[in-house]
Amino acid sequence: MFEKYLKLTAYDAVFLLEATGTSLWITLVSISIGTVIGVVMGILRNSRNKLVSAIPLIYIEPLRNSPLITQLFLVYYGLPVVSGIVLDSNTAAIITLSLNTGAFFSVLMHNSIKAIPGAQWEAGLALGHSRLSVFINFIVPQVMRLLVPQAITLYINQLQCSSFVSLIGLIDLTKAGNILNLRTMRPFLIWTIMFAIYFIISYPLSQLAKKLEQKVAFSY
Amino acid sequence: MPMIEVKNIRKSFGSNTVFDDFSVNFDQSGVTVILGPSGTGKSTLLRCINGLETIDAGDILVDSLSVKEKRNLREIRLACGMVFQQTTLFPHLDVLENLVISPVKIQKMDRKEAVDKARALLDKVGLGGREHSKHNELSGGEQQRIAIARAMMMNPRALLLDEITSALDPEMTAEVLRILEKLAGDGVVMLAVTHEISFAQRVADRVIFLEKGNLVADASVDDFFSGIKSNNERIARFLQNISQG
Amino acid sequence: MHLNFNFLGRFTQDLLQGAWLTLVISFFALILSFALGLCVALMRSSKSRVLQAMGRIWVEFLRNTPFLVQLYFFYFGLPELGIKTDPVVTSIIALGINGSAPNCEVIRAGLLAVKTGYYESAYALGYSSFQTFRYIVLPISLRIAFKPLTSNCINLVLTSSVAFSITVNDLMGVSKTIAAQTAKPFEVYIFIMLAYCVFTFIISFVSKAIDRKISIRL
Ligand SMILES: Nc1ncnc2c1ncn2[C@@H]1O[C@H](COP(=O)(O)OP(=O)(O)OP(=O)(O)O)[C@@H](O)[C@H]1O
Ligand SMILES: [Mg+2]
Repeated sequence: MFEKYLKLTAYDAVFLLEATGTSLWITLVSISIGTVIGVVMGILRNSRNKLVSAIPLIYIEPLRNSPLITQLFLVYYGLPVVSGIVLDSNTAAIITLSLNTGAFFSVLMHNSIKAIPGAQWEAGLALGHSRLSVFINFIVPQVMRLLVPQAITLYINQLQCSSFVSLIGLIDLTKAGNILNLRTMRPFLIWTIMFAIYFIISYPLSQLAKKLEQKVAFSY
Repeated sequence: MPMIEVKNIRKSFGSNTVFDDFSVNFDQSGVTVILGPSGTGKSTLLRCINGLETIDAGDILVDSLSVKEKRNLREIRLACGMVFQQTTLFPHLDVLENLVISPVKIQKMDRKEAVDKARALLDKVGLGGREHSKHNELSGGEQQRIAIARAMMMNPRALLLDEITSALDPEMTAEVLRILEKLAGDGVVMLAVTHEISFAQRVADRVIFLEKGNLVADASVDDFFSGIKSNNERIARFLQNISQG
Repeated sequence: MHLNFNFLGRFTQDLLQGAWLTLVISFFALILSFALGLCVALMRSSKSRVLQAMGRIWVEFLRNTPFLVQLYFFYFGLPELGIKTDPVVTSIIALGINGSAPNCEVIRAGLLAVKTGYYESAYALGYSSFQTFRYIVLPISLRIAFKPLTSNCINLVLTSSVAFSITVNDLMGVSKTIAAQTAKPFEVYIFIMLAYCVFTFIISFVSKAIDRKISIRL
């Protein structure tokens, strides 16, 4: 009776599973690339050279202050017209999400480094460490504690934003929802299932972030 | 030959000139207490000696090595340990690791040896049982004693101490000063910025008084507290103020 | 590469209309998200276990599911239950609900940051607990929460662009049509990105000015 109402088959379950895989894959690849970009840009932002520290803003600010969906359309529809390079929706999605993650990650990185009191640097230097040694042995471990929970929250956010790729035709979880919805005409249940799947992936991560955040809260 | 020679230095922050043509020497032994009103450059002097601030002109030699040469900085800093007013234990490391990490990383000391040494020093500062405490489980006085032990891990010949007790209550202050007295007895050279007159009278060999980047007085403790105090009205007023406050 | 934005002049009217709709949607959604956020924050700080749990479920659910799915749920799902939906109204409601979760979190953090000393001194002055809350605790915590609230606000404006996917002709919706008509998607989307940047810079500029006036450092 329930199956009849849903009009879902085992095939649909596999379809949903694949679509979930696509969502996770896109998210995973782009947060990995984005993290690398973000670490580099975040460190540049902390440069003592004013010019070097300002340059990453040219990249960071437009991406943080405009909608991800516009960025996605710019890369997917716009870029091929001016560059002649045709991107498939997969590549466009990964490029955009990576750059977007990178922009937000740079800010987290920058703020986390800035949050470490200068006295920590001086204490290390006064013990005879080089700047690099202070950075590696004392600053990085403290930065990590601040950064990791925030990074997880960003990753969760990017997983949710990955649903936008359905709007350029990629068959991710949300697009799969659209397709099943059209076929079954049972939107209420289909979207409830979508909620459930996203929630099951995302909730444990958000709890992890919360735990880590409580654990690392140290005052200077 | 003095251990630390400050030769005609100039140091300014923007338009604020802290030192202009300032010179002073510190010997191979003894405890020097640096006194002076707020903002006269006491911290700046210690930070310049340790290379945490760069000097605009003149030179500072530690064991004949110039702080102006970047490659000398490590050796200078190993010769002169420094402890600050605000506690600066590394919060991600426990007490023992705070002590052990630097000799292991910088001097390539064997870890086991470093741990033994750290334990001995912790005993010396009266914190033998606390090696696995975190910084937020320690009182301000305990943190400062550990900061002293941490500096001593590198076997410095001198300690630069910048008001290390001024954030502490009298009881903790006494604990910290006791440690310093012990170390002075072991022959560690000290340049201590402090307002603890009783410490100065009991432990110091020499007192210098700075005002607006100038050396107003430089004398042995006895001379300072008997003679100059009565001769120099400015210093007398300063001493009266801190003994009241 | 040869970029020319002059052709956009022909679409000034459309673009302004789209921008206006974006403003309208954001404005109402903002009010809704703030009101809901405050309610849920109060629920989460109440003494009742049930209210606390409900508030928590509300926030966790919204934060752990994509806005797009929430939007589709309202737009496509509710009609199945016999509730008619209008795209603009649905967008406002979905955005308002979605935005209530982060708003709740920062307001709650603000409430938690108010020290007990303020409560005690208010009681000592003869305030009732409602008066204490209304005149002392709430104003203080909203000031503490102001900065993160404005960054949530910027987020909401940017998220509102997704409304085009349920046929709303906001700034993003209009630009999609223009991009298709002119076959110049690159120029159009660059321009739209900048337009949103202008929006958000105005918001952060204004909010910084306000923050400087009202901020208190505890
Ligand atoms: N990093 C800095 N940037 C700008 N000015 C500084 C800096 N550090 C110190 N100064 C200035 O240099 C002068 C000397 O400061 P210093 O900290 O050496 O004084 P002090 O004698 O240690 O005072 P206190 O007893 O208050 O610690 C002060 O006028 C201070 O404002
Ligand atoms: Mg000082």
